[in-house]
Amino acid sequence: MKGLTYGAVTRDILEPLFKPSAAYVGLLGFCVALLAWGGYCWFLQLTMGLGVGGYAPPVFWGVYITTFVFWVGIGHAGTLISAILFLFRSKWRTGVYRASEAMTIFAVMSAALFPAIHVGRAWNAYWLFPYPNQRQLWQNFKSPLMWDVFAVSTYFTVSTIFFYIGLIPDIAAVRDRTTGTIRKIYDALALGWRGTDRQWRHYMAAYGFFAAFATPLVLSVHSVVSWDFAMAQTAGWHSTLFPPYFVAGAIFSGCAMVITLLLPMSLIFKWEKYINVWHYESLAKMCLLTGTILTYAYGVEHYIAWYSDNPYEWGIFVYRAVGEEYGWVFYMMVFCNCLAPLIWWIPSMRRNLVVLFVVSIIINIGMWFERYNIIASSLAHQFDPASWTYYAPSWVELGIMVGSFGWFGMWFVMFIKIMPSVAVAEIKELIRPPLKSDQVAAK
Amino acid sequence: MTSQEIEYLPPTPGAMKSVFPHLDCLVDAIDALKQAGYTNMVVTAPLPRHEIEEQLYDGRPSPIRWFTLCGALFGGSMGFSVASLTHTNWPMIIPAGKPLVSIPAFIVITFESTILFGSLFTLAGLLLMCGLPSHGLQSEVRDPRFSDDVFGLVVNGLAQADAQRVRNILNDNGAAEVTGLESNNG
Repeated sequence: MKGLTYGAVTRDILEPLFKPSAAYVGLLGFCVALLAWGGYCWFLQLTMGLGVGGYAPPVFWGVYITTFVFWVGIGHAGTLISAILFLFRSKWRTGVYRASEAMTIFAVMSAALFPAIHVGRAWNAYWLFPYPNQRQLWQNFKSPLMWDVFAVSTYFTVSTIFFYIGLIPDIAAVRDRTTGTIRKIYDALALGWRGTDRQWRHYMAAYGFFAAFATPLVLSVHSVVSWDFAMAQTAGWHSTLFPPYFVAGAIFSGCAMVITLLLPMSLIFKWEKYINVWHYESLAKMCLLTGTILTYAYGVEHYIAWYSDNPYEWGIFVYRAVGEEYGWVFYMMVFCNCLAPLIWWIPSMRRNLVVLFVVSIIINIGMWFERYNIIASSLAHQFDPASWTYYAPSWVELGIMVGSFGWFGMWFVMFIKIMPSVAVAEIKELIRPPLKSDQVAAK
Repeated sequence: MTSQEIEYLPPTPGAMKSVFPHLDCLVDAIDALKQAGYTNMVVTAPLPRHEIEEQLYDGRPSPIRWFTLCGALFGGSMGFSVASLTHTNWPMIIPAGKPLVSIPAFIVITFESTILFGSLFTLAGLLLMCGLPSHGLQSEVRDPRFSDDVFGLVVNGLAQADAQRVRNILNDNGAAEVTGLESNNG
């Protein structure tokens, strides 16, 4: 950051706002088209019933729950980077945390679609929230599904507050560089922020508390999501290994998604000064660490299944690995999550932008397949062989999944044009402040 | 500054505004003003700087932490209470001696409620303590440069008799620009 001034930072980061190129409009249009396709598929399901979603007894959790867990997992990196790395005073977080936080919010918004889609009668999805009905009957707070509602909604609320609070000084900076109606909108969004000593004092105290609250949330959310599975008496799911295994997987996929999104963004916006190979390499190292934990977890769950001497438990792991139906899913998962990232152990490979981009996409494909592998195979082969079946996603399910990528992409693409995707005020904190004593010394 | 719309607002009576391009000069100016007995001041900055906070608040922590503590305690107790009371309100007696009020099963709800309400109270505390949303701050702090690359120091509550002395302190400590209290100055 040598040679940068406060003014240059403001100019560089706010420069790409509000000027959509044809390619940008095309990308946004592509995302909206995917979303429209997903919307059409959901409309079909709402009018024709869950049968078009490929559900058949005994498999009632499929692509929707897989994609729900996938998006919640993606949503982990943003708050990890913004909160945990903030508390550790990690300098590389500053360039990437804003876009990662935005990614988190939009990923959780994408995840939030799926419980409503999955229950079929989406208009009754509010039954998930705790309120007494006409018979004064409340939800069962001992149910892991209820825990999940609390965990995901708390995570979304706290992450959104944290994100918005972080944005306020930068929205004020945008306001001060715009005119007319746009200025009025940003003024309202900045809540009248002026960066006074009183405002900064309370702001920094509150920011620390938000980070402290968000930190255990990052670790707890996917633990709670994993209990959706682990608390059930289903072979392949009922394991105490699940919380750390899921949390590692979530951070793994989230960091990979940050690379996927930020790499092209920083190149297009010419932000190499603020987001560069140092950041990608740090993210790749996070992926290496969490990917190694994940690989270890894959090994341990197979070992526990074998060592437990429980035929149902061991049976499902054998079925996953060598079964006709889901074997390819298992090997896809192993290749994408365990083998492909190994290339990043070579320093030059984790500094190569093409390799970074390609491997980050491979990881996310692998993480979707991991959840599919866990969910579909366990439900298709439960305790009673007479009920064994094969579940394959229908085109409607896949259409809705693709639509969720459009939904996510649409929000992210819109965000990067209307809000600073790099934290202006925090980048300035990394620069040596302008000092008269420096000027005197230079003379 | 070419594309900026600088709104016109009347100057605040008794206020003197100064602009500092250098942080060390600003800190020196605050110190000099304090020593001269002028403590009614507002500092604006494009980023948080601990030097400024130290000068103005002498290391006193923000009271935000009490909001956080109250919110977390309220959330935790409310989460556990809601889960427990609803279970005792409609008891489902499950064989094998499983308790209606189960601490392990309610830990997640308690934990999530602690975090949720702790954060919401912290947000409320932040807005309250910062006076946000606020669009009525004095005109002197509403300078677009203060969110960009300079620091602002506004001294309030000045009598005309003090104007020259304060202006001298600000100029002597490296202010690039000093305005306010000129009209009756002679």
